Amino acid sequence: MMKKICRYLSPLLITALVLGSLPVAAAPASPGSDLITTQAALNAERGQADRERIHEILARDDVQQQLVAQGVDLAEVEARVAALSDAEAAQMADQLEQLPAGASVVGALFAVFVILLVTDILGLTNVFPFTR
Amino acid sequence: MTSRRIRHPWNARPAGVLALVLLMLTLVGCASTPRLAETTEERLPRQLLLDDVPFHAQRDYQCGPASLAMVLNDGGVDIDVDTLIPQVFLPEREGSVQPEMLATVRRHGRIPFVIEGRLDALLTEVASGHPVVVMQNLALPAWPMWHYAVAIGFDLDRDELILHSGEEPRRVESFRRFDATWARSERWAFVALPPGQLPEGVRPAAAMEAISAFERLHGAEASLPAWAALADRFPGNGMVQFGLGNARHASGDSEAAIAAFERAVSAQPELAVAWLNLGLARRGQGDLGGARDALERVAAQPGHWQPHAREALDALQEE
Repeated sequence: MMKKICRYLSPLLITALVLGSLPVAAAPASPGSDLITTQAALNAERGQADRERIHEILARDDVQQQLVAQGVDLAEVEARVAALSDAEAAQMADQLEQLPAGASVVGALFAVFVILLVTDILGLTNVFPFTR
Repeated sequence: MTSRRIRHPWNARPAGVLALVLLMLTLVGCASTPRLAETTEERLPRQLLLDDVPFHAQRDYQCGPASLAMVLNDGGVDIDVDTLIPQVFLPEREGSVQPEMLATVRRHGRIPFVIEGRLDALLTEVASGHPVVVMQNLALPAWPMWHYAVAIGFDLDRDELILHSGEEPRRVESFRRFDATWARSERWAFVALPPGQLPEGVRPAAAMEAISAFERLHGAEASLPAWAALADRFPGNGMVQFGLGNARHASGDSEAAIAAFERAVSAQPELAVAWLNLGLARRGQGDLGGARDALERVAAQPGHWQPHAREALDALQEE
């Protein structure tokens, strides 16, 4: 029974998803009627290839998955992704792991502690409040 | 069979100490009190403190949401840290990343402008009344301790910066120590401004990116004051006038949009995309002759927008 429903539902879902994503892909290719948007003009001025544009558009799906994996509340994920600019979304998709995350904790060993204490006293770092 | 341990005839300790001392010397060599440009020194007051900026102490690792709450509250946005945490904090990373800091500002109706990474630019922003969110690495590159804080004042006579930082309001840091920790984030800093206000030393390209990202989220009408302010600041920049024209057009004011496009092409006659939109906007207003004049200029020049202009001209013939 379940299988049967799936068999009919899947093609419908696929069609719906494909149709849903079409306007995004088709948007830049409808000249003549609407004005060229500022974002499109800026992208063209930067010499950004269409390939990169598509990458940026797909990046949002990627970021959405990554945020879920990072433990972000499902109810928040969509709004968080929507607030990113295209360039920020691409940056998040490509290098979320490497991006520094402001947190102000240091997971450090004792040797590191000593080195940081010295650099703190030299005024190069600011780890320990008592060294000022 | 027994194996005998080979003993090194020399002790490695002096070599290690020497290496450490050399390392320290090179590190110290890198860090010095940053010098301000003379023009900046003359322009800025000797002491300044934005004492209206509210302080929110961070809990756990949440210096990101706390810093955002401070600048947003200062800008008149009524929001608390607890609301911001699920919007910007990454639980697995136990921290907040830069793109999302900017995105969250945008979400709350303010435009985030990343400012130039120089102490001059930072102090100039503070002096014009804008608290600045800075990213620091309080420890060393090998064992980073990333941190967001909010710069709210300075004392040029004592070379000191004042920040709301972590659990400490109005913390005083020497320029030297601050700059050493700030440099490790490539001197990343931003201000959160309502549409219509711009940072003092903003560059047109960066401002346009910031405003069009805001426009993407909130629409043309909300971003109109920002474009207008930018067009006032850079009257000779065709691309800026073009952005203003687009925002006006999308808000339904076609006549004012045409005026902006006309300013764009008179400032920068080679800006094909502005001619293109000028033509399209004139066509929309029923000025077919004017539309043809503008579109023909684009159609005649080989370039990215030539095919668009040709299609628009063809459509015009049919009307």
